[in-house]
Amino acid sequence: MLLKKKYAVILGLASSVAIGVAALPSTNNDYKNLKVLPKNISSKDLTRIMIDDFEDGLGVSCTFCHVEGKDSLGLDYANDAKPEKEIARRMMKMTMGINEKYFGLKHPLLGDSVLAINCITCHNGQPRPGDVETK
Amino acid sequence: MKNDNFIGTDENDDGIDRAGFLKCMAWAGTGLFCLMSGGVLKTYGMSQLVDKATGGIKKGIDISKSDFSFAQISDSHIGFNKPANPDVVGTLEAAIAKINAMPTTPSFILHTGDLSHLAQADEFDTLEQTLKSAKTGKIFYVPGEHDVLNDNGKQYLQRFGKDTKGNGWYSYDFNGVHFIGLVNVVNTSEGGLGVLGNEQLQWLENDVKGLSASTPIVVFAHIPLWAVYPQWGWGTRDSEQALSYLRRFGSVSVLNGHIHQTLQKVEGNITFHTATSTAFPQPQPGAAASAGPMKVPAEQLRSLLGLTSVTYVEHDHTLAVTDLPLSKSNDEQPAHQ
Repeated sequence: MLLKKKYAVILGLASSVAIGVAALPSTNNDYKNLKVLPKNISSKDLTRIMIDDFEDGLGVSCTFCHVEGKDSLGLDYANDAKPEKEIARRMMKMTMGINEKYFGLKHPLLGDSVLAINCITCHNGQPRPGDVETK
Repeated sequence: MKNDNFIGTDENDDGIDRAGFLKCMAWAGTGLFCLMSGGVLKTYGMSQLVDKATGGIKKGIDISKSDFSFAQISDSHIGFNKPANPDVVGTLEAAIAKINAMPTTPSFILHTGDLSHLAQADEFDTLEQTLKSAKTGKIFYVPGEHDVLNDNGKQYLQRFGKDTKGNGWYSYDFNGVHFIGLVNVVNTSEGGLGVLGNEQLQWLENDVKGLSASTPIVVFAHIPLWAVYPQWGWGTRDSEQALSYLRRFGSVSVLNGHIHQTLQKVEGNITFHTATSTAFPQPQPGAAASAGPMKVPAEQLRSLLGLTSVTYVEHDHTLAVTDLPLSKSNDEQPAHQ
């Protein structure tokens, strides 16, 4: 009876682990050129940053940083031809640095809801913060 | 903001300036039934049209028997969870409930893109599951730019674009009307303007070449095919080329989404119409620093979300477009005529 209970507990734990792993966001991506964002970032987390932080925060679309692919059937996300992409990388580092240095956040990540500042804090829906008219 | 396309006066105090509408464009979105025939617009409130006792059209209202009707929903953004609407599934379900409550079951539904918010498999799953409760024959899709993030639309194509061309464009005929689904979101240009691309344009030219000029045409795509507000990417860079293939037809209706609000414009025989979102509103063109989800008081949200119902009237080859906000029942719309 005791043995059966042990098996049941082990089976339960194993199931929990299996379910937990299955619930993790997929990291099976083929991103080729991530230099600031984690290389194992999930598709969902990366896309959420692109939409919530960059698109909504700066009022831009994908082509602000990304160039069209050679086959004209989509964007070449890995391509660094546009200088805006490199600037975005620097901005991400700067933003995380401010969160860490001045707001005491340990290992801040873009997209985290706990961030003290993020893109929209200064950009307010504009590609360049200086474009915002002050009254 | 100055824009000559916008109506400046409201002569009848009814929210719509008819002269302005016929000249160019009108704001809708208040549950109107719009019947366009020979360039003349008639608008009715739903309460004027529908007999509550029978659920049918009231006696004495001169509307030809329609061949069929269909519904347009757009911008469901499944996966969106920001304060502008933390329950996008709930509001999509409300839109479906309105479709299911229509007196006549729509022959099909057009979804004009942004099915998902982040193009994730679980978001597409939720959308498909939710739409299964819609009483209709079939659902036709075109992608929005949110559906092609990350993978340039491969997953969208596998799930919703089978038997389509290129990035997902296609056409079909239904009861004498030629429907054309276009894709203008995979290669957006600088500033976010939509792009159709040469391959699709060539296909479109060939697709309509053999049709008689009397064939009613319905074009649907995500980003508007007219310059609503290019500063925010609300237009399509090469749409004029596409429209040039369609100008010879007597009746062309263009249905779009993307801007999450109803706008209408008449240009010769082409009528443009944009639909509200089922997820969240966006600001009127130029009314904010940029486009994006707009948070409104909770009690106002459903008045800014909705769907579009379209009825084809065979006798006149006209399409009657009705915008239905989620906040009101189908028979409690404000009256306009």
